[in-house]
Amino acid sequence: MHFFFLYIDPGSGSYILQMIIAAVLGVSFFFKNFWLGVKAFFTGQKPKKEDEKDPAE
Amino acid sequence: MRSHPASYRDTSGFVFIHDGMVYRYVHPVYEKQYTQLIHSGLYDELVKKGKLVVHSETNDLQKFGFEEGKVLLPAQIPFISYPYEWSFDMWKDAALLTLQVALISLQKEMILKDATPFNIQFHKGKPVFIDTLSFETYSEGKPWIAYRQFCECFLGPLLLMHYNYPDAGRLFTVYPNGIPVDVLVSMLPKRSRWNMGAFLHIHLQAKFFQRTLGAGRQNQKPVKENNFSRKKMELLLKGLESFVQKLSVKNVKTTWDDYYTDTILGTDYLDAKTKLVRSFCNFIDFKTVIDLGANDGHFSLLFDESKQVIATDADSNCINALYRKIKQGGITNLLPLINNIVTPSPATGWNNAERESITQRLKADLVMALALVHHLAIAANVPLQLIAEWLRPMGSYLIIEFVPKTDEKVKLLLQHRQDIFDSYTLENFRSVFTERYQLMKEAPVGNTNRVLFLFKRK
Repeated sequence: MHFFFLYIDPGSGSYILQMIIAAVLGVSFFFKNFWLGVKAFFTGQKPKKEDEKDPAE
Repeated sequence: MRSHPASYRDTSGFVFIHDGMVYRYVHPVYEKQYTQLIHSGLYDELVKKGKLVVHSETNDLQKFGFEEGKVLLPAQIPFISYPYEWSFDMWKDAALLTLQVALISLQKEMILKDATPFNIQFHKGKPVFIDTLSFETYSEGKPWIAYRQFCECFLGPLLLMHYNYPDAGRLFTVYPNGIPVDVLVSMLPKRSRWNMGAFLHIHLQAKFFQRTLGAGRQNQKPVKENNFSRKKMELLLKGLESFVQKLSVKNVKTTWDDYYTDTILGTDYLDAKTKLVRSFCNFIDFKTVIDLGANDGHFSLLFDESKQVIATDADSNCINALYRKIKQGGITNLLPLINNIVTPSPATGWNNAERESITQRLKADLVMALALVHHLAIAANVPLQLIAEWLRPMGSYLIIEFVPKTDEKVKLLLQHRQDIFDSYTLENFRSVFTERYQLMKEAPVGNTNRVLFLFKRK
């Protein structure tokens, strides 16, 4: 990976960076939703998933 | 038709001014994207939600000297403000608006091709996206082209206001194209690395670009950019949104936080002054107001919806509190802005013509300078003549308060310095201003030594 990064221009760097960030955020949203699901199971409320929120709100 | 000096970057079209009205020309190269914006229903949805400026298409191209393309007449925004005049919450709302516009666009197969706060204006108490030509056809697999710009233009200033100081947004005067990530890293405290958003979007990005910039260009391996799925794009935008949503401004107590709730200037003084301002306003005809040194906005808020008010103050906490107040109260006729009168927003950008200085922009029928003159004359050493000459072009009417040397607040200003202000007297003040203005009213404020004047420009 190290060497790979050395030979890319800033534009491609942004692409790879965005891939990494999306992957990290994907994992973090997954756990957040999972946790919300667990909480909802015990409190008996319907879970509201992170990615179901209206972006306009 | 000559384009506006700030409208040269984008080849899709440009903004021009004709008969005092702002128009936007759409070049034929952008026709496809423009048609998609309209026909996909994206334009209608964004306008309905109050997120995009409404426009009408004009039919008469010849009138403007064009043979092809389109001419749009957007809703006119009475006052153009710049990001370095916004407080934290204004920045935050502008950043969230940008992300929301990008997310809604994605649902209609479009994406924002740029993400700069200059695409946003505050109108009727809310941020609105004004660049109708920022929309591009979304092609799945490609990353967000404006990602780095968003980080440097929005996240940078927001993080500096969060970690360092509430008025760090003013640094944008120096870095109007975004605060570079390596500059941000040099200023942000080390502990900001432990914040996931700051780490991913700023620190990691800076590390990345240090590496890539250090590499020679001749040995580049082309990277196929076609795997950034729609799901990833949504995650990126939503991740940024929830990160911005959680940011708060650094809590720093400033000089003016509790000015009017102070003990020296009690409610009697404030009531008397309010009554005087109201009564002075009955003698004059005006539609627009500038309140200089507005503090908590007490006097800016006296005006009803028929008047457009711009409230400025050097204190970012005051302006932020005022913005929150108008947001909560649904007040649409007031625009709060950070402006330090002694070091006002300069004319900047290409050829110094891209962004006008705040002095060029600040014009109104009525100017109010309440409890301000002593700060300019004594704290900042500005002679009374210069103050009068600066105020005169700003508006035809002036309500101004003179605070004499016997006043507690002026005594405080003079406490640790030599009194070199022999000409700072009520008589001299009156004579300096009546050279340039006609004196309409004069009255003492309550039982203080302060005097309120109403002047009309000669």
